[in-house]
Amino acid sequence: MVNAAKVLQDLRASAERKPDVVVRLGKPLIISGAVKKLDADAWLVYEQVAIAALDVGDELLAHKCIEALEAKFPGSARVRRLQGMRLEAHGKLEEASGVYKAILEEDETNVLASKRQVMVLHAMGQTTEAIAALVKYLDINYTDFEAWLQLGDMYLSEHMYPQAAFCLEECLMLQPQNHIFHLKYAEILYTQENYSLALKEFCRVVELCKDHVRGLYGIKLCTSHLRQNPRLAKDTKATNQEDLEAIDLLATERLLAVYSSDKAAPSSKDSSKRWLESL
Amino acid sequence: MGAWTVLQERQAMLLDPAIRDWVLIPIMFVMVLVGIVRHHVTVLLSGTPKKADLKSARETKALQRAGILRAFGSHLPSQAFETRKVYLCEAFEKGRYLKDPDAKNKPKGNVMQDPAYVETMMDGMKKNMMNIVPQTVIMGWINFFFSGFVLIKLPFPLTIRFKSMLQRGVETSDMDVSWVSSLSWYFLNLFGLQSVFTLILGSGHAADAMRDMQAMSTMGMGAAAGPQYSPTGQPQDMNKVFLSERENLEIAEHEWGLDNVETRLLVKYGKKPREVLLQQQEAKKKRLTSTSSTTKTTTTTTTSSSSSTSNASFQPASVSMARAKKSKRA
Repeated sequence: MVNAAKVLQDLRASAERKPDVVVRLGKPLIISGAVKKLDADAWLVYEQVAIAALDVGDELLAHKCIEALEAKFPGSARVRRLQGMRLEAHGKLEEASGVYKAILEEDETNVLASKRQVMVLHAMGQTTEAIAALVKYLDINYTDFEAWLQLGDMYLSEHMYPQAAFCLEECLMLQPQNHIFHLKYAEILYTQENYSLALKEFCRVVELCKDHVRGLYGIKLCTSHLRQNPRLAKDTKATNQEDLEAIDLLATERLLAVYSSDKAAPSSKDSSKRWLESL
Repeated sequence: MGAWTVLQERQAMLLDPAIRDWVLIPIMFVMVLVGIVRHHVTVLLSGTPKKADLKSARETKALQRAGILRAFGSHLPSQAFETRKVYLCEAFEKGRYLKDPDAKNKPKGNVMQDPAYVETMMDGMKKNMMNIVPQTVIMGWINFFFSGFVLIKLPFPLTIRFKSMLQRGVETSDMDVSWVSSLSWYFLNLFGLQSVFTLILGSGHAADAMRDMQAMSTMGMGAAAGPQYSPTGQPQDMNKVFLSERENLEIAEHEWGLDNVETRLLVKYGKKPREVLLQQQEAKKKRLTSTSSTTKTTTTTTTSSSSSTSNASFQPASVSMARAKKSKRA
């Protein structure tokens, strides 16, 4: 029991979303009532398990948690947000939106509610409104990189690539070491046909994460474009011809090396080889 | 060895058990009780936390944004960096992120008439009082009734340096250091009861003695540095802060971190010798020095004003610098 509480606490601290683990560990705690022994932490566990239960669709457990929290903190904005999430889980998006709106009317700085509000709009298919709300949120909470990432995704779904690239640039500044952001940025640049810049970002991905296959494929794609179309590479900042060849060679070599390991499936080995030959 | 035993024997002092029952334990008991009472009173006094203001949050986040751009802008391609720089500079100059854009040219009234400021100040005072008053009272009580009492003997020998710590209020030069005086027992309790409070009240309690020390030191600092830097949050002129941040941003130079990423990658996989990177760095340095020699004056202003960051007290200097730069441009 002590161990379960410790693991749950670690998960809360790292803000990881592992609903299956949380429900598996938290359910016995709550059903047996052992959670009460955690004193003040108990309510945090209730909240954590409630969200996880909604994630995995365990309605009874979520209900139990939210009821307990409601009894302890009547009228709290945090609990009402959980109730809003339960409504969302039941598909009652309009009602959930109303709950969030009420919270925001009382306290317009409520971060949790404004984020949920955006996602409800998104789920209702009103992407334009969701983007507007998220832009408004980011104007105030600039440092929330997850929100920037979400905004980037929404712009991508609307095929607004320059705007999406802008969002990813903000992510790059807020989390420069995360190679996933570099990868995503590179892919947006590639879609915008900005191959020389995309190549550099793909190189950065592989630099940050050794033998990153998606990054290596990206390099291959960019170099093949740049070699077929030398006028694309005329920009002074772009990679010179000699480096281009060397990088291309390196990417091919690494891809072959990755697929020649024992772990790779033979089918993917063949298809990658064929693809590399076709370039 | 002989001298040590002699000293031990000579100091075979006996303490009256009544001291233990009526001084040692009561002091500890009173301190624990006062800590618990203080925790509850603080909880009562603090009441509901003040609601944050959306616009002031936006103000500080905008400043943070400029800071992040200056610090991590090297991860962006130069065009993206320049766009942001130009945008933020313009926004800061026009006061677009200010809480109250119209008020930026108005002269400021007396801060004491600003109810929000007075409220925060009173809050801080209340908290400080809650921390300091009980400790002063207990210390006075101990000083009045038990000054000069020797309460316990530590079971281990200590060096003479500990004398001032363990025998405060007992001015004897010969007594063995392991005897602890009443006032020192108070201080030991003050710092040592922390974990006892955690046991009784749970973590995050308000009975912490270390907080007293912090409160006292900040109070001292506040008095020394004048009202401008009072810890309770003197309202700053945000417009000035924004303008100085704009200065910093304007002179921030951009150097893209991915300029030679291909070479770095090739070096990483051993396709090129490491020396290539060094050669590139040398070449870059040479290029920089050749260009900067012509604009030496501007680089010196860069260093001096970036060191002042967003400190409002340096404002006049950076404003005059801005004027100098503008006239140079004209």
